[in-house]
Amino acid sequence: MRSENELIELLNRDLNLLSVKKLRKQNISIRLENEELVSGLNYLKSHSYIHLATISCVDWIEDNQFELIYHLFSYEDKISLSVKTKINRQKSRFVTIKNLWGVAKYYERDIHDFFGIKFTGNDNMDELILENWNEIPPMRKDFKTRQYVDKKYDWRQYHGQE
Amino acid sequence: MNNKYESNKWQEVINWVQKRSLFMLHYCTGCGAIELPPTMTSRYDMSRFGIGPAATPRQADILLITGYLSTKTLRRVIYTYEQMQDPKFVMGFGSCTINGGMYWDSYNTIKQLDKYIPVDLYIAGCMPRPEAILEGFLKLKEKIETGNADGYKKYNKEYETYKKNQEKVLGEVKRRQ
Repeated sequence: MRSENELIELLNRDLNLLSVKKLRKQNISIRLENEELVSGLNYLKSHSYIHLATISCVDWIEDNQFELIYHLFSYEDKISLSVKTKINRQKSRFVTIKNLWGVAKYYERDIHDFFGIKFTGNDNMDELILENWNEIPPMRKDFKTRQYVDKKYDWRQYHGQE
Repeated sequence: MNNKYESNKWQEVINWVQKRSLFMLHYCTGCGAIELPPTMTSRYDMSRFGIGPAATPRQADILLITGYLSTKTLRRVIYTYEQMQDPKFVMGFGSCTINGGMYWDSYNTIKQLDKYIPVDLYIAGCMPRPEAILEGFLKLKEKIETGNADGYKKYNKEYETYKKNQEKVLGEVKRRQ
């Protein structure tokens, strides 16, 4: 069982980290280059980080970037590790990790639903949560929710309402 | 009896019998589902009013929509509703079914349930407590006895309007009947 500081030391030695942050007890986040992400996850998986909790995504529209965050957990170290990487927003394409964790193909389909990111190697990109969606993906920051709601649904009219 | 639809003495007897034995199908989409176990079980015990839970849509009289409906679930609700046999009644739970509630500006939840299926009764609240639900059931029984719970007749009569509204938000709806 490693402590947080031991883990940071180990990661600094073996991986090419862009940054590392100890957020709080049992919670560490690291940032990797695009190209090194898959090998980094592979390395972590072989060092007891076998649990992929989820993959999340953030739209940094002003930086023209999407941030992908892979949430890992180790049952031996009892530490949650977030592995982050940023990809180009225009290209919005990344590589799949379904060969490392089979469950990732569903997380990737989920992200494709809501952010429109395609994952090379994961061919099944059918809608997972949404249905018959033909606007821009709804969780992107340039999706105008109010405008869409006004167009699609009717508001209930009340007496005396202006 | 001030009913806009045709009614006679025999219908009155049917209504009287109908209101004494109701089976409800609770379509648990939202948080309202959590209020139903206490309503059904010994604390509030709705079976003393002659209302019980039903296992499948074909065996149920009442369809409870317990909370918000996303467009994806609305499609399933329509399938469920169309499978039920006449006479059937719909109850909308909470503010989400009335005007969207806290999901008023969500891109994916409907704002007015009665545009898509006919609603006989709304229970306001976020969420309504079991007392309010029982009060709602009693009101519904009253409406059944006076012949005013005629949503299913309205659905058959104004089917085209409902279909148009449904297709506006869902695209094509495959009818299974």
